Amino acid sequence: MEQMKVLVGLASCGIAAGANKVYDKILAIKEQEKLNFELTKTGCIGMCYREPLVEIIDDTGSYLYGEIDDVKITEIIEKHIKTGEPVKEYIVKTDLFENEDDSYWKNQVKIALRNCGVINPEVIEEYENAGGYLAVKKILNNNISQETVIQTIIDSGLRGRGGGGFPTGLKWKFAFNSKSDEKYIICNADEGDPGAFMDRSVLEGDPHSVLEGMTIAAYAIGATQGVIYCRAEYPLAIKRLNIAIEQARTKGYLGKDIYGKKGWNFDIYVKEGAGAFVCGEETALMASVEGRRGMPRKRPPFPAVSGLWKKPTNINNVETFANVPYIVLNGAQSFNKYGTEKSKGTKVFALTGKIKRGGLVEVPMGISIKDIIFKLGGGIQGDKKFKAVQLGGPSGGCIPDYLAETPVDYDSILATGAIMGSGGMVVMDETTCMVDMARFFLDFTQKESCGKCTFCRIGTKRMLEILTRICEGEGKEGDIELLEELAYQIKDSSLCGLGQTAPNPVLTTIKYFRNEYEAHIRDKKCPAKSCKKLITYTVNPEKCTGCTVCAKNCPVNAISGERKQVHFIDQEVCIKCGVCFSKCKFEAINLS
Amino acid sequence: MNQINVILNGKPVIGYDGESILELASRYGITIPTLCHDPRLEPYSSCYVCVVEIEGMRGLQPSCSTKINEGMKITTDNQKIYKARQTALNLLVSNHYADCVAPCKQTCPAGVDVQGYISLIEKGLYSEAVALIKEVNPLPAVCGRVCVRPCEVACRRNLMEEGAGVGIDYLKRFASDKDLESSERYRPIPKPASGKRVAIIGAGPGGLSAAWFLQLQGHYCDIYEANPKAGGWLRYGIPEYRLPNEIIDKEVNAILELGLSQIHYNKKLGENLSYKNLKDNYDAVILAIGSQGSTPIGCEGDDAFNVFGGVEFLRNMEITGQRYDFRGKTVAVIGGGNTAMDCCRTSIRCHADNVYVLYRRTEKEMPANPIEIHESKLEGVEYMFLTAPKRINKDQEGKVKSITCIKMELGEPDASGRRRPIPIEGSDFDIPVDYILAAIGQKTVAPFIDDINNFSENGKVSLNKWGDLDVNPKTLQTGNSKIFACGDAVKGPATVIEAIQQARRAALSCHQFLTGQEIKVEDYEFISKKDNFKKQVPEDYKTKYVSQKRHEMPTLPANKRLNFDEVELGYENDEVAVLEASRCFECGCVEYYTCDLKKHATAYQASQENLKGDFKQFDVKFDHPFIEIDNNKCILCARCVRICSEVVGAYALGLVNRGFDTFVAPSLGKSLLETECESCGMCISACPTAAISENVTFKPGPVRTEPINSICNYCSVGCELEYQVKKNFVWRVNGAFGHINQDSNICAKAKFGYNYINDKSRITHPMIKENGNWKNISFNEAFKIIYNKLKEKSTGEKALFAGARLSNEEMYLISKLYEIADGEKNLASFSYLGRGNAFAENSLKNVSFNEIPETKRIFILGTEINYEHPVVGYMVFNHQFKNNVPVVLITEDKNNSISKKADKTIVISSYYNFIKAANYYVVSNNLQNQIYLDQHYKESFYKYRDNILGSNYDELIKKAGVNSYDIEDFVKEYNNNHNSVIIFSEKNLDAETCSEIMNLAILTGKLGKSAAGIISLKEKNNSEGLFNMGIVEGTEKFNVISNYGEKKLLDKIKLRKISSWFIFGEDPVGTAINKIEINEWFDEAEFIMVQDYFMTETAQKANLILPASLPYETGGSFTNTQRQILEFEKALNPPFEYCNIGQFLSILHLAGINGMDSIDEVKSEFFKQFGNVGVNSNQLRITEESVNIKLFENAADYISNKFEKDFKSKLKKQIEYERV
Repeated sequence: MEQMKVLVGLASCGIAAGANKVYDKILAIKEQEKLNFELTKTGCIGMCYREPLVEIIDDTGSYLYGEIDDVKITEIIEKHIKTGEPVKEYIVKTDLFENEDDSYWKNQVKIALRNCGVINPEVIEEYENAGGYLAVKKILNNNISQETVIQTIIDSGLRGRGGGGFPTGLKWKFAFNSKSDEKYIICNADEGDPGAFMDRSVLEGDPHSVLEGMTIAAYAIGATQGVIYCRAEYPLAIKRLNIAIEQARTKGYLGKDIYGKKGWNFDIYVKEGAGAFVCGEETALMASVEGRRGMPRKRPPFPAVSGLWKKPTNINNVETFANVPYIVLNGAQSFNKYGTEKSKGTKVFALTGKIKRGGLVEVPMGISIKDIIFKLGGGIQGDKKFKAVQLGGPSGGCIPDYLAETPVDYDSILATGAIMGSGGMVVMDETTCMVDMARFFLDFTQKESCGKCTFCRIGTKRMLEILTRICEGEGKEGDIELLEELAYQIKDSSLCGLGQTAPNPVLTTIKYFRNEYEAHIRDKKCPAKSCKKLITYTVNPEKCTGCTVCAKNCPVNAISGERKQVHFIDQEVCIKCGVCFSKCKFEAINLS
Repeated sequence: MNQINVILNGKPVIGYDGESILELASRYGITIPTLCHDPRLEPYSSCYVCVVEIEGMRGLQPSCSTKINEGMKITTDNQKIYKARQTALNLLVSNHYADCVAPCKQTCPAGVDVQGYISLIEKGLYSEAVALIKEVNPLPAVCGRVCVRPCEVACRRNLMEEGAGVGIDYLKRFASDKDLESSERYRPIPKPASGKRVAIIGAGPGGLSAAWFLQLQGHYCDIYEANPKAGGWLRYGIPEYRLPNEIIDKEVNAILELGLSQIHYNKKLGENLSYKNLKDNYDAVILAIGSQGSTPIGCEGDDAFNVFGGVEFLRNMEITGQRYDFRGKTVAVIGGGNTAMDCCRTSIRCHADNVYVLYRRTEKEMPANPIEIHESKLEGVEYMFLTAPKRINKDQEGKVKSITCIKMELGEPDASGRRRPIPIEGSDFDIPVDYILAAIGQKTVAPFIDDINNFSENGKVSLNKWGDLDVNPKTLQTGNSKIFACGDAVKGPATVIEAIQQARRAALSCHQFLTGQEIKVEDYEFISKKDNFKKQVPEDYKTKYVSQKRHEMPTLPANKRLNFDEVELGYENDEVAVLEASRCFECGCVEYYTCDLKKHATAYQASQENLKGDFKQFDVKFDHPFIEIDNNKCILCARCVRICSEVVGAYALGLVNRGFDTFVAPSLGKSLLETECESCGMCISACPTAAISENVTFKPGPVRTEPINSICNYCSVGCELEYQVKKNFVWRVNGAFGHINQDSNICAKAKFGYNYINDKSRITHPMIKENGNWKNISFNEAFKIIYNKLKEKSTGEKALFAGARLSNEEMYLISKLYEIADGEKNLASFSYLGRGNAFAENSLKNVSFNEIPETKRIFILGTEINYEHPVVGYMVFNHQFKNNVPVVLITEDKNNSISKKADKTIVISSYYNFIKAANYYVVSNNLQNQIYLDQHYKESFYKYRDNILGSNYDELIKKAGVNSYDIEDFVKEYNNNHNSVIIFSEKNLDAETCSEIMNLAILTGKLGKSAAGIISLKEKNNSEGLFNMGIVEGTEKFNVISNYGEKKLLDKIKLRKISSWFIFGEDPVGTAINKIEINEWFDEAEFIMVQDYFMTETAQKANLILPASLPYETGGSFTNTQRQILEFEKALNPPFEYCNIGQFLSILHLAGINGMDSIDEVKSEFFKQFGNVGVNSNQLRITEESVNIKLFENAADYISNKFEKDFKSKLKKQIEYERV
């Protein structure tokens, strides 16, 4: 029998759920009882909704245990590790028998995430054993020219996974064509959309794939220096990147004369960003790397012509680079066989919001939104009604339920008014107020605006003020039209993507949910019963049993009433927190 | 440059590769508005005001940063673009918590620029203040006495809660009275006569004002006045104790004096004047008839004898010239307005025993001016408030016996906002009175309407429902298209200032009518107001300003008022006026006339109400002595931030926070003084609003100033300046687009160093010292003395000195004066005295400044260039920023401020030895450019080589304080880079070092090449002129050196051989490094003559002083350190009879040296000598290490010296203050 292998998902998602404790517990028992199995850390396994996750691989197959705690792991060690008997009730996925979560895995195709949750990201050999660094070696061993590498990427149909969707191979070609003594490769790891964590998972789970992807790009365009611009809020990613870089240098994969090829110098360092959303914009990112305030500038000149330190520079995002070694190693066709005519390959999505199974999924392009939400994601929490999904984060837009058949590819999504973005999918149910949702995202972009352009700096502020007053029941006739007018002007007259897309959540919600805006403005009502200033909680005297639970739980003592008497909510005092509503067992609290 | 074909607004045009749309459009005369773009800076694109549409591109593109492409189709203006620009401006102004104009001006019905004239009064420019007022109000002396002053109510000084706003009217009266007394009284010249004639009915304030404005447009006016004298209500309504007739006469005279008008007295329309006559003889008519009728009391018995309308009461006395005699009588005045005040105070003056004012509300509701109420009480008037007449009781003769009154109480507010008085039943009481004056109101009387309409051919004049003349309220045109109306007859009884405002409007409409234009209302003007954001409250001001009570105008003591003498006496003197003026907060913006935001917001009809929302409020920062930061006005174009980094290289400013919270602040949150700020003021020049402005020590107005272009008289770079001047006062200095400073950059010295021009202690007379005291003498006397002193024998020798700040023409004439001198002649400049003449060659083959952008490597030797010659520094560091060209600093001072900007700093201990070691290294390693040397320097090279190879290299290096590889690196970098340049300043180096630098440039074959070699910088604006004019000892004219290292004169001075000194524009004592020694030179002198602006330390030692004129008071030329002759015009007269040139020519004429009578003749005479410029005297010079015997700081110039000291001490003091 091969040695049993125990993997603990130790990406940020796992750690946040307590995976470190689980890991320590396993290690403690292992050492205490001198058990013979291989314990290893791995990255994000994907089922974030079941964290902490522990996978046990024995000679019968693989068993993934979910929602593990101290007690459960002890039981699993006792039974599965010691006696080889899987603890069925904790298993969330196995090849050996069916499981309710299996639909989460079906339809997924893992290319970018191929090693995430599989290998130990802090051990370079595990990456190598999984086929890592073979793509570079393939290029060197076969003397594949720069042009051919670029052509392979062009043929694969890979488009920028950071949101823009620009063909990666073409971008490389432009940088290749720029003549300069120095060129740069930058990996944009400044993932900033609320609800998006694809890049973090790749960096934490498979950092070498990014390093290899960058190395291939460096070869293709002739760069000698690489920079990974990673937000400082990703300490684990930065730590693992630095470990990976150090390992790669030791192996001769980074530095001078790399892979033994005389004169081929390429090195990478990690630049920590201070967490400004706008630094995800490539010109702002480069300004930040240069030590200046992260503010975008007008393009052209594009970075491929004049980028970092005014030298030709190629910038791709993490997921894009992670795909590159796979494509180079396996050929363009291995990638472009997936997807649609114009959107090839797979795309990683981060599922969040009112969805049952939140987490990271990688699917072939062209799958419908509905399939992602219902087949992979298991539908809506509490089986409430699906209302819309926000795609592309604050720069994106919402897609309503009746457009759920829309396939996920760049152009179909763009046609709805949303954008593919980096792959954040925030799912909303009937209790989500769409005006408030638009306000939330605009509040984000408004605060994250670098403050340079008039429209983005003041225009989004004014839009936010209008949205806020609508949510507070102070909306005026003409506000919707004013929002639209400002929105289009902001889109037309902003320097960078942040400003150009900031109004998208507002425009798409107005497009699909105009009636909700009108209800707020004209009837002073929030149809989703979410906007605090527009709702009231009252006691239904027919249902109230006078149990006093609501009064006891009210944080502001707004509810009065004797035991076994009908209670009363003082509207002057009520802060509309909804605690009474959720605590009442008799549905005696009315929300209107 | 490649040409690019572009379609611009549908027309094919040619652009150039790399050109932006904005640049292209501006070349084709299309102005695209922009706020964030500054041609000196890299494109930025933040304001989005400059957007244009490009076919095939999504959205709109900022034209400042979009480069043109072949075939690009650009539209610079259409509805979409207009809308986008308008929205951008709406957004910007929606967060612009600032005032364009002060509340005083906003509130004044006539829009008088109060802040502007207060600024002029502060500077004693009274006639200029009156000129400003008279742009909109031709009766300032009248209004200065009787205006109801809504401005003072609106004045923000009230928010200090010290009692009263600024004494605006007092100041206006003070300036107006001063102007009326002045021999240079303001007398504008009307436009050429138009041939049009206007009849004006009524010579009151409205009619008179209309005549003023129409005459200025060149129209002839006949004023028809029903009364025997002019002034209308001013004369016949307002009593003389408030407004003396003499003042009315003077201002009427000023109006008639324009020469295109005449008043015809005792002519009343409809009685002895018919419209038939007017229609036939005039092109237009203005009705300014006033409100002539009194409103009756309207109670039983108001027809009694001795019941008068207040208006009639006042008018009768003026017409008859008789005063009523109220001795022993009781007078009741009914009403609470200003007419009531005039009636009651006049009654007192008519000796009434008792004067009561009956008013149906309380004192608080009285419409009368509070000062009037106050004064009337002082004079003995008694008030009966909440009292209304119910019935007038007559005696048997029908005369007034008593008045029955009823008490009132106040109810709910009525339409006027005041609480309505309600009678209290049964509260009747009687007051025995002898006279009743009803000052309740007036009404328009227009019996001539039928007369007009009978003869009218252009429509009819009619009355409205209030009985006033019916007019278009905006244009003041009546139903008859050629008749306009203004004043009380239109508005109902109102104020003088409203009548004046209406007269101006009616005159404008009339003018438009007369000239066949459309009669239209004024164009839109965007005005930003703090009140649009929030109501101003005391807390906004009390913490920021020091309390200072109003200086009240002195008045006659109450016991001296039983006459009609003027009660208010006017401010005592200038100092009091300046003190009161200092209370002005200057609420209006200093950039009112120049603000780009206002300009574009006006053009695009932007409004602060449109996209109202949250806004940012900041405290204005005054902590820097020269630079004021008002973030409220900032639109975040970041031009200040960028110019400070891209051009100055100081990086003193930055952007803080994100999004809507972003603001500009000194770097790292410090005070500007604690940053790397160089106090150059470039940020001010970049700001499109007034967010960064000059922190001036005077009231800046704003006022409209005149630009005077001249050449800077500080350093030798030769920047062209634009002085903004009014009268002789310099308001500010901007960079002009000069020959040298082509992008208008200037430095701190030019920007902030102009206060000496405004200094009132300037010398304005020739003076002679008698018994230790100065006595003014005439110029002719002074000239004679100087001529005699030059000519006569003296105990010792004579010496003439010319300063490095003087013009070429002045220097040339001084060298001529030297010809008069008898005996051994000595001509020199203290600025180079004892320093040798080898400097003469420094500037002969300089790299031109405009080749700096083509250099590939720059070495700065010693000079703190951004402080000593900043504009060249800007060129260097802008080049470094844009093109990454390395800048190397070589310095003896390890604290040299340039080292922060340089890419590399080499600290050495001796410039001379460093350069000499470099030269040794070149020659000993055979690195010299032999071909070049053989062509140009064959002879001197071999001598030089032999000499330098005889030096001890190790010793040179040791003395230089460097390692041999430093020398090696330096030589390689300088020699091997084709376009490398060494920049050095004479200030820091001695002549021997300069010669060795020249030698290095020669050895490496760089001297005289384009963008390679050296740039030498001289200390003063015309230091080079001293060499050109042969003033420096040992030089002939045009830099021909007669004897190297000449120091004869210094030796003579030290031996006390000089007994007569003629010093022009230099202050050797005040600038002496060793003051004791220099003082001794002059102590035993027989005669010292000094010509300067101020009483310098040297001037104090003189026997005779001549006043010196400023460059722009003379005209002439300076030769900058690049040997470019920079000419400047005479723009103003000096405040004395003879400018410098005139003074020199007069003395020369005494000596019979003629042939030059003007500056042009002087110029042409010395230009003739250009032909004599000798052969190139350049050669490799063998040098010896010398001790620097620099004797004077700042090139012996008083102004430069003073600036350096003041500048540093102000910055230092301020920092210390901050720390406390």
